[in-house]
Amino acid sequence: METCNGCGACRRLCPVDAIKGDKNTLHVIARNLCIECGACGRVCPVEAVKDPFGILCKMVKKSEWEKPRFDKKTCMSCRICIDACPVHCLGLSGAASPDDPHGYPYMENEKTCIGCGFCARECPVEAVAMVVS
Amino acid sequence: MGKILMVDLSTRDIREEIIPDDVYEQYLSGMGLAAYILYNRIPTGADPLGPDNILGFISGLLTGTGSLSAGRWMVVGKSPLTGGWGEANCGGSFSPAIKRCGYDGIFFTGISKNPVYLYVKNGRAELRDASHIWGKDTVESEEMLIAETGGRSRVAVIGPAGEKLSLISGICNDRGRLAARSGLGAVTGAKRLKAVVLDGKKRIDVHNRAEIKRLSQMCNRWVQFQPPLFPGPLVAYVGTLMRLLPTQMAMEGLLYKILLKKWGTGSMNQMSVEMGDSPIKNWKGSNVDWGIKQSLSVNPDAIRQYEKVKYHCYACPLGCGGICSTKGKYGETHKPEYESVLALGGLCMNDDLDSIFHLCEVLNRAGMDTISTGSTVAFAIECYEAGILTKKETEGLELTWGNSDAIVALIEKMVRREGIGDLLADGSKVAARNIGRGAEAFSMHAGGQELPMHDGRNDPGYNVHYSVEAAPGRHNVGAQMYYEMFQLWKVVRGLPRVKPLYFKGRKYSADEDKAVMAAACSKFMNVVNGAGLCMFGAFLGAKRIPTFSWLNAATGWNKTPEQYLEIGERVQTLKRAFNIRHGIDPRTFRLNARVIGKPSQAEGANRGRTMDMEKMISDYYRQFGWEPRTGRPTEEGMAKLGLRGDKHVV
Repeated sequence: METCNGCGACRRLCPVDAIKGDKNTLHVIARNLCIECGACGRVCPVEAVKDPFGILCKMVKKSEWEKPRFDKKTCMSCRICIDACPVHCLGLSGAASPDDPHGYPYMENEKTCIGCGFCARECPVEAVAMVVS
Repeated sequence: MGKILMVDLSTRDIREEIIPDDVYEQYLSGMGLAAYILYNRIPTGADPLGPDNILGFISGLLTGTGSLSAGRWMVVGKSPLTGGWGEANCGGSFSPAIKRCGYDGIFFTGISKNPVYLYVKNGRAELRDASHIWGKDTVESEEMLIAETGGRSRVAVIGPAGEKLSLISGICNDRGRLAARSGLGAVTGAKRLKAVVLDGKKRIDVHNRAEIKRLSQMCNRWVQFQPPLFPGPLVAYVGTLMRLLPTQMAMEGLLYKILLKKWGTGSMNQMSVEMGDSPIKNWKGSNVDWGIKQSLSVNPDAIRQYEKVKYHCYACPLGCGGICSTKGKYGETHKPEYESVLALGGLCMNDDLDSIFHLCEVLNRAGMDTISTGSTVAFAIECYEAGILTKKETEGLELTWGNSDAIVALIEKMVRREGIGDLLADGSKVAARNIGRGAEAFSMHAGGQELPMHDGRNDPGYNVHYSVEAAPGRHNVGAQMYYEMFQLWKVVRGLPRVKPLYFKGRKYSADEDKAVMAAACSKFMNVVNGAGLCMFGAFLGAKRIPTFSWLNAATGWNKTPEQYLEIGERVQTLKRAFNIRHGIDPRTFRLNARVIGKPSQAEGANRGRTMDMEKMISDYYRQFGWEPRTGRPTEEGMAKLGLRGDKHVV
């Protein structure tokens, strides 16, 4: 939107380089590249981003972004969540124990998480919940 | 509507193509889409190692949708090993990587002047120089490519075997998982395409995700059912019992799943030998030659003791793979699979497990097919035993049964294409032709491709599929026991039901039902390969793994299982037509007389068994409306499937 002040916060955060624009000028989102992760909307300090339905996105403080929490009892180690993550912040552990030789997903790099929730959305067995820590 | 990426390596032209919806409705994605592209675009008579051949890396329709076991990717092209349709299939994490770049498949034509790799990221595809990794093994190459592209890419790469145009080479991903069959590594090497490196992040949208999740949760409940099991060495005695009983219990995929989840495919190592499923000593031996004592070294627990962590391919709730520690310079390897262990073990009478672990890693890094390699080594040993190959020709190697040092040395020579290794690096059929002197009698292949570790004298269905598939000599399509595990009759009207217990004699009779079952397996596996599902997942049984319902939920179609099998029939016929177009006479996919029990074995699990292949093959052809004597699709059959007059089929 025209209210964009060109601060570049969205451009720096976008995991697919879909946002272009010089500093202090109006930034634009390439629709063919955008994956609708919502990170630009959450980070924009002047609330100048609309979602695909035309609804204005609200800025959310980073400390209040939702992060994934894994339920190991339900998780089947299928790695779908790790693959779905656009910022590669999830890792796979080694064998949990001698009785449970499977690896499980865990938050490897919390700082890069953008709270998109793709991991939870794609988990077929609902073993990932998005929560504010 | 989906997209594919077409890359011309000669001109470096890269362009996207949109594939219309009705193509997916007729062929699905994956192997079906590939058949449609390759049939229409590879010129008649194209040299498999020339610029006109098209090499495709394809994902499955269900990959990335939340459907379980949907992590298989496929590589296709005209095979230099068989001269016809070539296909191989692999797990790991490469299949969703194709989809996350926005494509259902990536196809290459032409030949590059210099070694290159394709790099796709955020909607941009480019060919990059690969001179610095040419010559490196698959694991080193993958690590280097991941490092130089930001640390998170997914890589499919050839090793030295593919670069040196070994006709039994494949394409590797995830540090040692190989799309090994049909010699498509050589096609990649001939194109001077070292790797495909993908770093896509696109969302994969589906019609009804909630329904897919519901179906996946139902399926997962079956997968997680895991009662405690007896120790690994005792599994062999299940095979012994199956051999001794006059009756056959219909194979139940749920039981097989329990074994797979605990031990992986290696659970069957000893059991298969005991029941006569695994060929021994280049198919001339039996469980008498390689009994429980000899095969004890490859029992499921012996392999599992090296397992550090289970390995799950993408979207797999089962985790039949494993990452193992290994002695020697590599330190770590993927858990050797059943096929590899028996090809490098029982087929060569080799009971040295350390050598098998070492060879699996050597071959994974070289990008060479363990099945064809083991089979070619067994061929060489028998040639040596018969005096056809001399010690001078083997460069001093004492090629005797079970001589693990000689087997290791020979395979390392094959990887480097040195001396005797160069003679054998294109598989046993080419080697036999070059050796002459009657060596062909010891080459166990179908249409040029070495046979896998499943003996058709124990399950005639294997021999049928080795002989009738467009890519011959492969075990991942059908068999009597596969039909029993797929349990298709529970969801598809008109298919014959299998009794839970039946007399063994019935298993070996070439009756009409067998052809119906074999055809159903072929059709269904075309659907499975179109969907990108894993065959081991499909073994769970049609009611427990909801293949057809997932496809409907992902696409919004409302097709019946019968309609999906018709798609499978269409793909099967198109692949057959591909071979005919390229001058392959289907009847030349004949098996070595030894493999069909002519003469029959005098002892062991399969003693006295002979197959009437002519009848079984003709019966199979009839199921597809192909000409029963020549195996050629008829005008009528093509028309029935909409292949004649179809605007998509040129």
